Amino acid sequence: MRPVAIITDFMANVKMWYRSKGTVFWAIAFPVLLMLLFGAIFQGQDDVTITLYVQDMDDTDMSEMFISSLEERLNIETIPSHVETDKYIADNNIRAALVIPEGFEDTVHMAYQGSNDTVSLTLSLDPTRESVNGMIRGVVAGTLQGWNNEITGAENILVYSEESLTTREFKFIDFFLPGVIGLTVMTSSIYGTIFRNTKYKKWGILRKLSTTPFSRWEYLLSKMLFMTFISFVSTFVIIIVGVVVWDISVIINAYLFVIVTSAAFAFSGMGMLISRFVKEEETADSAGGAVTFPQMFLAGTFFPLEMMPAYLGQIARVLPLYYVNEGLRDAMIYGNNTSAMNNTAVIFAIAAVLFVLGAAMTTWTE
Amino acid sequence: MKPVIDIRNLTKHYGDLIAVNDISISINKGEIFAFLGPNGAGKTTTVEICEGIRKPTSGSVHIFGREFSGRSKSIRERIGVLPQEYRSFERLTVKETLKYYASFYRRNRDIDEIIKLMDLDDKRDELYKNLSGGLKQRVGVAMALVNDPDLVFLDEPTTGLDPRARRGVWKAISALRSEGKTIFLTTHYMEEAEYLADRVAIIHNGRIVAEGSTHDLILQNGDGYTVKLHGCDKKHMVSLGWKAKVAKNNTVTLHVENPNDITRILSKVVKEGMIFESMEVRRANLEEVFLNLTGETLEGEDAE
Ligand SMILES: Nc1ncnc2c1ncn2[C@@H]1O[C@H](COP(=O)(O)OP(=O)(O)OP(=O)(O)O)[C@@H](O)[C@H]1O
Ligand SMILES: [Mg+2]
Repeated sequence: MRPVAIITDFMANVKMWYRSKGTVFWAIAFPVLLMLLFGAIFQGQDDVTITLYVQDMDDTDMSEMFISSLEERLNIETIPSHVETDKYIADNNIRAALVIPEGFEDTVHMAYQGSNDTVSLTLSLDPTRESVNGMIRGVVAGTLQGWNNEITGAENILVYSEESLTTREFKFIDFFLPGVIGLTVMTSSIYGTIFRNTKYKKWGILRKLSTTPFSRWEYLLSKMLFMTFISFVSTFVIIIVGVVVWDISVIINAYLFVIVTSAAFAFSGMGMLISRFVKEEETADSAGGAVTFPQMFLAGTFFPLEMMPAYLGQIARVLPLYYVNEGLRDAMIYGNNTSAMNNTAVIFAIAAVLFVLGAAMTTWTE
Repeated sequence: MKPVIDIRNLTKHYGDLIAVNDISISINKGEIFAFLGPNGAGKTTTVEICEGIRKPTSGSVHIFGREFSGRSKSIRERIGVLPQEYRSFERLTVKETLKYYASFYRRNRDIDEIIKLMDLDDKRDELYKNLSGGLKQRVGVAMALVNDPDLVFLDEPTTGLDPRARRGVWKAISALRSEGKTIFLTTHYMEEAEYLADRVAIIHNGRIVAEGSTHDLILQNGDGYTVKLHGCDKKHMVSLGWKAKVAKNNTVTLHVENPNDITRILSKVVKEGMIFESMEVRRANLEEVFLNLTGETLEGEDAE
């Protein structure tokens, strides 16, 4: 054994490692990023603003008091008492609602006089948001428990029953599938574009192309055709696995096509912008990671935005992937066309801006 | 007759560096013109300005009689380019690569014919990434021919190749001569310039230091003979009375004008009892021309 050789080899590896930007990203920046992101996402769930819509049919001092005790833990919005609950929920895309029935105050008063009558509140929750639902359930049940103890000491006078907000039975995988599509289109478009551009630049292919009659715009167009094609291949593979293996019912409509195409353009544009400033392949890898990872975790791919502190939710709203995810969910799973249309419009606009910027910044020559 | 390419007072600055300094050249139809110079001389900069890839700081380039800055599609239709250190798509075959580039042009030359001309017959269906360096460069030249161009730029087509592979590329380029193509070639191998070019321009630090046919350049700047003694002591040689031009690895290079001097050197060496491993005598070539003009060798060492 030659310890000198081993030490020299070790030192050579350390040197090469810290000189290569790619490994430094994956070994240092990436874990730091993950720690910061997840720390921020899960830090003090107290900061999280979870919204619960409350319809107060009782409209008494007692019901108002109950609402204010919920307000200590949740962000409360009001559903007017005169509207039809289900329709209002559907129209406003509400995902958690509590209805306090008429007679709430009366029942409490009667309980003080020894009655055993109960009053049941209705809690309607969106089943795809299980992690958020757990928190809402906890707050509602806890608050009811507190009131019950106060009023009777033991008897459960105030109870709640739970309803699923949608007629269809959703599972987490339903929430997840559109996220997987968004994520795949994002990573393949961004990385594909960055790697192709840096490689072709280094190999002289871009210089060669610039001397042919093939124009930059024709080139970009054919590349976009290709990226879109790849995006649809991924999309359909994901849908097929979702349908066949997980029995997800997926709605396929025009929104799906527009969103996936827009996403391919938006993320390819982003890739072009990055490769404009990144010269080496290794740096390209890091730059790609730096753009895709925050989006992956902050744009609601794996869990709903409501689980995160409000300021992160605000950040999500500037990430293109957020609109892709939301739009795809509305279009494919919830069948919520109004919301799908809004998100599609946003991602379409983002795609137009990013692609035009990226294309304008892509140069073949010096 | 109008020159195919006419470079007038071309200058290119990179910040403070003057990479190309007031160069003027014109190349006529059917000519193989070689730009000979060491690393960093400004060859690629000049050629890529001609190809429209880089912008000059001042001066102009006329191709087929029209000023060209890279914009004109009709000029791009008629030129063929092999960039320096070019690498093609790894997972396309030779034939697919050529078809790919051919699709950009209105005018096409039969791809099988190009494959034959570049002697790539048995590699036509091989993936580019599996080809040897020499074959890759031949594909590169082939790729510059798909539009049957009137003007071909080849930037260091044989750099990094072993001598055999280099000869293969030379043969391929020679095949173009018989077709009357105009070729603008850059190289830092003087044998390459000697073998291929009708006319050579020697470029050094961004300036052209000499221009003409290989024959003329040698006549004007380096006529005579070169005597090289390998594996001997330089001090001895200097004491012989001739000026030793270069000494490296115990090799002494002497330049003599007169053939009689060769015999005089030999007899002196024998008389002094000097020991050497081998001796080489040849007529002066472009290497001496370069040395005489710049005081450097093409490989970049300073002469003594
Ligand atoms: N894009 C650039 N930015 C700054 N300097 C450059 C650039 N391109 C070339 N140079 C410098 O200009 C000089 C000429 O370079 P050029 O590539 O034209 O030389 P060359 O003769 O082709 O050399 P080689 O044989 O190495 O290819 C060199 O000193 C080089 O470092
Ligand atoms: Mg060069």
